Amino acid sequence: MFRHTPLRVAALALLAVAGIGYAFGASYFGLEILTEIAILAILVLALDMVAGFGGMVSLAHGALAGVGAYGYAMLQAQAGVAPPIALLGAIGLTGALAWAIGAVCARSHGIYFIMATLAFGQMAYSYIFETPVFGGDDGLGGISRLDLSVLGLDLMDSRNFALFCLAMVALAYAACAFVLRSGLGRSLSGVHESEQRMRALGLTVWRVKAHVFGLSGMIAGLSGALAAQHIMYVSPGLLSWTVSGEALVVVILGGLGTLVGPLVGAAFFVVLKHEVGAITPYWHLVTGLVLIAVVMSRANGIFGALEAWVGRRRAARQPQPLAKEVPGNA
Amino acid sequence: MLETRNLDKSFGAIHVTRDVSLKLERGERRVILGPNGAGKTTLFNQLTGEIAPSSGRIILDGADVTALPVAQRARAGLSRSYQKNTLFDGLSVADNLGLAAMVAQGRGMGLGRDGLLHPEVRETVEEVAAQLRLSDHLDARVSEISYGMRRQLEVGVALATRPKVILMDEPTSGVGPEMAKGFHDLLAALPRDLTLLIIEHDIDLAFAVADTITVLNYGEVVFDGLPEAARGSSLLKEIYLGSWEDA
Ligand SMILES: Nc1ncnc2c1ncn2[C@@H]1O[C@H](COP(=O)(O)OP(=O)(O)OP(=O)(O)O)[C@@H](O)[C@H]1O
Ligand SMILES: [Mg+2]
Repeated sequence: MFRHTPLRVAALALLAVAGIGYAFGASYFGLEILTEIAILAILVLALDMVAGFGGMVSLAHGALAGVGAYGYAMLQAQAGVAPPIALLGAIGLTGALAWAIGAVCARSHGIYFIMATLAFGQMAYSYIFETPVFGGDDGLGGISRLDLSVLGLDLMDSRNFALFCLAMVALAYAACAFVLRSGLGRSLSGVHESEQRMRALGLTVWRVKAHVFGLSGMIAGLSGALAAQHIMYVSPGLLSWTVSGEALVVVILGGLGTLVGPLVGAAFFVVLKHEVGAITPYWHLVTGLVLIAVVMSRANGIFGALEAWVGRRRAARQPQPLAKEVPGNA
Repeated sequence: MLETRNLDKSFGAIHVTRDVSLKLERGERRVILGPNGAGKTTLFNQLTGEIAPSSGRIILDGADVTALPVAQRARAGLSRSYQKNTLFDGLSVADNLGLAAMVAQGRGMGLGRDGLLHPEVRETVEEVAAQLRLSDHLDARVSEISYGMRRQLEVGVALATRPKVILMDEPTSGVGPEMAKGFHDLLAALPRDLTLLIIEHDIDLAFAVADTITVLNYGEVVFDGLPEAARGSSLLKEIYLGSWEDA
């Protein structure tokens, strides 16, 4: 059940200040990293919404982001649609596809759900890879970024684009929080706890799953459309299942079902990739070790561990702690 | 209010419901008795739609609901509690009741404001909590309250949908005799227009709450009538053996 705790609000504020502050101080390379973090953050927010709050562990989200990227590329660069419309179109297209995937997969659970989403992701990958209009292995280029000159912003400037992506993270976060707090989001939490009981209470469970999966897909589509604008080029690798796997690693590293945790996870993951990657090509080994440590510690990721620690400290300070204040996942 | 006509259910060679025809009037409180494995829970599962009967019909409030899925029957006013707690374990007592009220009030699919904070939802939560003496534990998580309270919450979640008919599957199972008695007093205080169908193992408790009694044995209705008549039934004595002598 999603709720904002003081700790979460504080963490969000800190992340916002750090992100914006860094954007103004960073060099070109730093801005590229910040943009990469922001785009990944949007994808993992989308994934946490379904996996963390609905138990729908998806291996299709990488492909969904890829569909958003190709959707934007096709509309904007190939069909010549105005970038804002292309962006909305890409988001809508990804959302519709995700809704259909969610509706079909809604009846499967656990490992079967994961495999079904993986299958859909792979289908999307091979469709894009094999269809000539998408440029095959070579991908598509000639992609323009959004034109925000009316606001006096040139998004071709790395700093402006990084700030724009940060604003999109804030928007995606607000959208996730809005959905999770709505009746639909509360129903999703109930379904996560007991699908049988929610059904017996009168809820059409598959619809809840499909709707949330569709909304999550829209956010994944936004992430992909931003990625397309960032590199101004799309290739089938965007839809690779490893992107979904990586996103899942980030969500678990950060803290499943916390919404804030995945943001922390995204920053941690990208920084680790670049910092350790600069020293040794074996950076995946380090990420692997960190992931194993997090999983073995049985904490709910980095942010979950922080919440547990704060909870314990508060309990220690108060002789008679309010049991309800002990944080768990969400 | 709730009726079954010649309900039959087999799992392969096992015949668990045999030609069961029941009729509950509005506001009727009926207790189902029967030994372990008599098919009581299986009958409930067919009434709610969680299991499809092999043949026969189920009529809810004048409408044939035999083919309706679980959620639609629930929306038509049928609610149930489970023999084995089926709660939202990670959530608070208030959220458990709130989810039930929210869904029943048709706010479970909305994208507007917080579904649990709607005044009507909160009002129902408070009312049901008061009905079941859970008001002091609204903020506690399910895992933090006693087993007896969880059994009460199990019924509370079913009540929070404000149903026309409520099915309770051994609401006092595993609860001490004193608490079970108290619980039955709470049930007795429920509105008289609510139709109750209760599976109960304890014969004394059954007689205390029942307007009518149905006895199931090997999936078959072997008694259907008033409690006074049930007391004289030799069949019931036979089925309940020891416990009947104690009663
Ligand atoms: N899905 C199923 N498949 C096969 N047999 C089943 C199934 N569900 C129930 N049964 C059998 O049907 C019979 C009736 O079971 P049911 O749970 O309805 O009994 P009950 O009267 O509720 O018993 P208890 O008092 O122990 O709760 C039992 O013999 C049980 O093993
Ligand atoms: Mg039973």
